Amino acid sequence: MGMSEAPRKNRKQVVEALHEVAAEMHNRMQRGDPPRMTLPVRSKTNISFDNKLGVFKYGKNKTVRDATKLGSARQLLRTLHITEFIEEMIDSEKSSTLREMYYISEGWGNGKFGSQNESNNLAEDLEIVTKCLREDFKLRPEEDGARIIGNITVEEKNRRGEWMRINCRDDVGDSGYGVPYNVEEEKLKLVDEDIDFVMAIETGGMFDRLIENGFDEEARCALIHLKGQPARSTRRIIRRISDEWKKPVVVFADCDPWSFRIYASIAYGAIKTAHISEYLATKEATYLGITADDILAYDLPSDDLTKQDIGALEAELSDPRFNTGWWQEQIKLMQELGKKAEQQSLAKYGLDFVTDTYLPEKLDTIGLGY
Amino acid sequence: MIRMNEAEEISSKQKQASIGEFFEKNKHFLGFDTQQRAIITAVKEAVDNSLDACEEARILPDIRVELRRTKSDELEMISQDNGPGIPRDSIEGVFGKFLLGSRFHAIRQTRGQQGIGITGVVMYSQLTTGAKTRVISKVKSDSSAVFVDLGIDTKKNKAIKSSEKRDIWIDERTGEEVSHGLKITTVMKAKYQRGKKSVYQYLRMTSIVNPHASISLVVMDKEGEIIEEGNWVRTSNKLPRVVEEIKPHPHGIQLGTLQRMLRESTDRRMTSFLKHNFSGVSPRAAKEILGMADIEEGRTPKRIKPEEAKAMITAFQTVKLLKPPMDCLSPIEDLLIKKGLSKAIDSRFASTVTRSPTVSQGNPFQIEVGLVFGGDLSSEGPIEILRFANRVPLMYQQGGCLLTKALEAVNWKSYGLEQPGGSGIPKGPAAVLVHLASTNVQFTSEAKEAVSYNEEVFNEVRKAMLEVGRGLKNHLKKSSERKKAKEKFELVNIILPEIAKKSSELLGREEPDLAPVITQIMNAVFLEEELSWNKESRLSMCSVTIHNYTARARAYTILAKWPEGEDTSMEFNPRGGRKEAKGLWAWRLDTLDPGTSTVLEFGISGLSKGDWNETDIFFRGNGEIIGATRMDEALLDEQRKAEALEAAVEEVRRSSAPSEGIKERPIEVLEPSANTDWFGMEGDGNE
Repeated sequence: MGMSEAPRKNRKQVVEALHEVAAEMHNRMQRGDPPRMTLPVRSKTNISFDNKLGVFKYGKNKTVRDATKLGSARQLLRTLHITEFIEEMIDSEKSSTLREMYYISEGWGNGKFGSQNESNNLAEDLEIVTKCLREDFKLRPEEDGARIIGNITVEEKNRRGEWMRINCRDDVGDSGYGVPYNVEEEKLKLVDEDIDFVMAIETGGMFDRLIENGFDEEARCALIHLKGQPARSTRRIIRRISDEWKKPVVVFADCDPWSFRIYASIAYGAIKTAHISEYLATKEATYLGITADDILAYDLPSDDLTKQDIGALEAELSDPRFNTGWWQEQIKLMQELGKKAEQQSLAKYGLDFVTDTYLPEKLDTIGLGY
Repeated sequence: MIRMNEAEEISSKQKQASIGEFFEKNKHFLGFDTQQRAIITAVKEAVDNSLDACEEARILPDIRVELRRTKSDELEMISQDNGPGIPRDSIEGVFGKFLLGSRFHAIRQTRGQQGIGITGVVMYSQLTTGAKTRVISKVKSDSSAVFVDLGIDTKKNKAIKSSEKRDIWIDERTGEEVSHGLKITTVMKAKYQRGKKSVYQYLRMTSIVNPHASISLVVMDKEGEIIEEGNWVRTSNKLPRVVEEIKPHPHGIQLGTLQRMLRESTDRRMTSFLKHNFSGVSPRAAKEILGMADIEEGRTPKRIKPEEAKAMITAFQTVKLLKPPMDCLSPIEDLLIKKGLSKAIDSRFASTVTRSPTVSQGNPFQIEVGLVFGGDLSSEGPIEILRFANRVPLMYQQGGCLLTKALEAVNWKSYGLEQPGGSGIPKGPAAVLVHLASTNVQFTSEAKEAVSYNEEVFNEVRKAMLEVGRGLKNHLKKSSERKKAKEKFELVNIILPEIAKKSSELLGREEPDLAPVITQIMNAVFLEEELSWNKESRLSMCSVTIHNYTARARAYTILAKWPEGEDTSMEFNPRGGRKEAKGLWAWRLDTLDPGTSTVLEFGISGLSKGDWNETDIFFRGNGEIIGATRMDEALLDEQRKAEALEAAVEEVRRSSAPSEGIKERPIEVLEPSANTDWFGMEGDGNE
């Protein structure tokens, strides 16, 4: 089903890929060298635009994690413990959450994780070096998926293994359709739609405002609540809707440096998951607002930038994903204003202003007027 | 002949000054200006007296202070010691007259110099509450104790006794008869306050510089509920040594003092006046002084005119004189500073230094500094500074004190403490003790809370600070090296074998031989030392383990610092070796093959548990050793030379005349800083 389908590996392939990691360590020790693991550098200095894929991927810079330092040696030992744990799960046809794995590591002695974050990172490292997905590893995220409201119909395989048909406008309550953590074909099918575009919304308050105002029906769109920095499954379902239904995607967020990063992770790929950007990023997504221009144009109530905000903006100027004329302008304007604004600041002009005036005007400028 | 009773001997030395009414007018100078301060001063006078008396009578002091609120602005103070007691006939004198200690009459380092004396407490109580001071005194040779209530006739500067009786004194708490000691009970207008300026803090500080004393404090409210308590148990049974009284040195004499001495002199000739009343004046120097001042040797001192006295003062500064003897000083000494600090502060590391005594304007003085670091000390805020003059805590006017200023003048950043702005009081989990021992402490004011500026004293304090600073820096460097070495050991001994095991299991392969991997990861020789206490043998043990994790065989000489002294010896030393310098022993080790390790052990006798908890290890040989410092041969040579010179000087001193000043040859007293980290220190060894 199109180029966006994630390549899945069978059990044997997964185990073989994991063994290669262990073999690199073992081979080196047999030669009298400290064991090691080679990884791409996972920072903004090592992501670059992939012309063929149209998204940002890790570059060529590699980092070597070897057992010459205690911290790195522990990482290697933990990696081996994860490998063993994954093999056991594959054999017994079980799966676990990343959090469960963190607790299970309590029994791994010196291979025990120091924090949940560390175990998440190591699982990602393994994905990267083995070119597998964590679904292949039988590992589930804890993270909260998005919710959707709009006239689209999906089929989801429920826990009894039956396919359930759900219309995301008529078959759901006010909280909408909850996106599961696995949104691949084996679990979720996109069946039918009657919408013109998809709008991804940063905050729950704005999502609920648009629903109360009946915006999804009026503007013929599907609304997706991102819940802050969007989970993998959220980005993946947006990508599938874009690919399979060819619908435009717009992002409606606050005007602050962190919201810019939310957009970047949807449209260009996140730094942490740059190894799978081609499955998660939707290069067609457009940033609708709120822009720095909007703060001036609509005279929106604003807050001063904090120290952290200023630092984040500065970092974005050198982030290759924001290296476009438009973004550089927006970031510099924001630095100049020294201000940021929330989506809900539009309420200054009344509760209906966002749906009656702001969104129609903004959508009009990108050819989605209704 | 029976030795004169100690108590009588002490009290007879106290001369009197008739300044009874002085007190009322000068309460603020004497430490009774506020109700919060009054109780601190009162406790201080009582405790200082107890400590001085015990020291002279060679008794290990047990002092108990009890404070109880009787009214909202009144406190009852009870102070009890196990000192020699005061003979009945001297009680009036001690408690009823202003005793200005011995400082105007003989030069010696005593605590008493610094206060108005216990009479001030009796007077303050009487003035504020009308209460009499109850004294119980028991002298060992008497069969019973004296119980007496005292007041003061402020006009006549005389004690008024009442309700005097003799009785057996039973200690209320133990129920046993007291064989010797003193108990004072009085009531005064005062308020108890906690915190940095409190009786608690005063006693805590006092206990630090008096490790030989056990001091306890109980503070109770009106209902008898304990609101504050402190108990500092002695950590040493070594009493401070008896200090010799010395005569004033001409360099420190002012015209007025000289005139008074001339007037009071019973000598018939000026030459004998100079010889009997001053230290450092040889007969030849006396002749030179008189010649220069144009005074005939046979003149009677009483008849010397003011201009002639003036000429003598000038001559004092010109004629070459011997230094005053230094045995009038009583330093705490570094090991005891460590013990004292450990009594009050829980820390990880202590660096202490006792500088050699030196002289400023004819007054011998000596600086001691102790620095503690880590442990329970808070890393927030400025470090605690504990100032002492002649073992008496200085609690007020910290900022205006020379001792503080000298500390602030050190660049602590380079020794591992934070110091915002590059000067001032540093921050971090540390406390610094600084003790000035001197026959004549100069204060900025009568309140005697801040030492006034004196360049020689300032420089000595600063040098001492630099020394303890170097100790701290060395400690921090060693801690971080030790941590690194520990991590490496964990890496190759625990984690690496697990990686080998787990990867082999996963792949179904054989476990690899890790020896070459370990050599590659470590590629160094590691040394770890461990100090411990052996309970059975009562030895302070040092165990040095050396691992050769390189691909080549190595041969080294290992040198260790140890606390060599009169009381200590290297009792256990199966490896032999030889002494390289004072406090430095060397062992030549057999060749250490790649991948092997060896342990070097030795034990020191003459120390107590916890006395020795840090040492330095040096090495000679090819290649570095992680955890040890390469021996600096040039510095070692210098130290050897200094030691040889010191020994020679000691030889000369011993052969010189028993009565000071008869031999003409002036002895240049060497001033090698005592207990310095002499060798192996990098960079800043020039101070």
